[in-house]
Amino acid sequence: MENISQFDLNAALRLWLEQLGRSPQVKAENLKELEAHVSDSVMQLQSKGLSPEESFLIATRRAGSPAKLEPEFAKVNRNPLNKILHGLILIFFSFGCWFVWAMLHFPRMMEHALHGKSLPAFTLLMVRCELLLAVPPLLAAGYCLFVWTRKYSSRNSWMGFFATTIAVLFILTLLALVAILLPIMTFMSYSASK
Amino acid sequence: MLSKELVAASTVPLVLSVLTGGESYGYELIQHVRELSCGRIEWTEGMLYPVLHWMEDEGLIESEWREAETGRKRKYYRLCKKGGKTLREEKQKWMSVHETFLKLWKTYPSST
Repeated sequence: MENISQFDLNAALRLWLEQLGRSPQVKAENLKELEAHVSDSVMQLQSKGLSPEESFLIATRRAGSPAKLEPEFAKVNRNPLNKILHGLILIFFSFGCWFVWAMLHFPRMMEHALHGKSLPAFTLLMVRCELLLAVPPLLAAGYCLFVWTRKYSSRNSWMGFFATTIAVLFILTLLALVAILLPIMTFMSYSASK
Repeated sequence: MLSKELVAASTVPLVLSVLTGGESYGYELIQHVRELSCGRIEWTEGMLYPVLHWMEDEGLIESEWREAETGRKRKYYRLCKKGGKTLREEKQKWMSVHETFLKLWKTYPSST
């Protein structure tokens, strides 16, 4: 009889730990420590004459529900996924900025086709400012360094970072496209007039 | 029962104070504080562990997994040098609050 109730207790404890372990924020080591804790607590309660079931219920209630414990562990356990995603977004963003920079070389090639006519003012401005395109990736890298080195974060910040980089990339691409289209249009009107 | 905020504020100095008496593990720490406070300081037990891990990351305490005499593995915590320093600072803070209250309640005894 004792063996059967002991088995139930172990199964119940396993289930409780499994439930808690479903959260990526709770590490295996945390579970091991909580298991030792609840086992100690159950043993103590049983020595006071409580049944295994009663002891288990009280011990887990005192330890706290998974919903209560999860956010507390999330505060101290670093989330590697968040950092990895920041790295991937940074690579993607830097590549995007490099691509925009490469796109801005196109108007220079068009300069010959325009037969000495100067490029439109906006295109010239964009071409001259091309080195400034290194600034957004540098800022993003600085932010990533901050995210990678900070000790505690209770939330995933990669979504905000992703949204910001996409928005910046969108605006930069738009500006570059206008800078490219303007000399094309000038060239076309020039050819038409010829 | 103490408020949630007061429990949260006192957890670190309480743990550090208990560990000055020698190494201990989570369950024992909780039992010790419960006995000393006559049950008035009641932690949500599981919540102590994230705090212990935070304290370890901060270098206030260090830990080691060891097998207890019962055969069960337990994580034992002990005080580090930085923890001792933090405890001295915390002690000063709590004592200044305590002394201020004592003076106030001496002046206005009816408030106690």
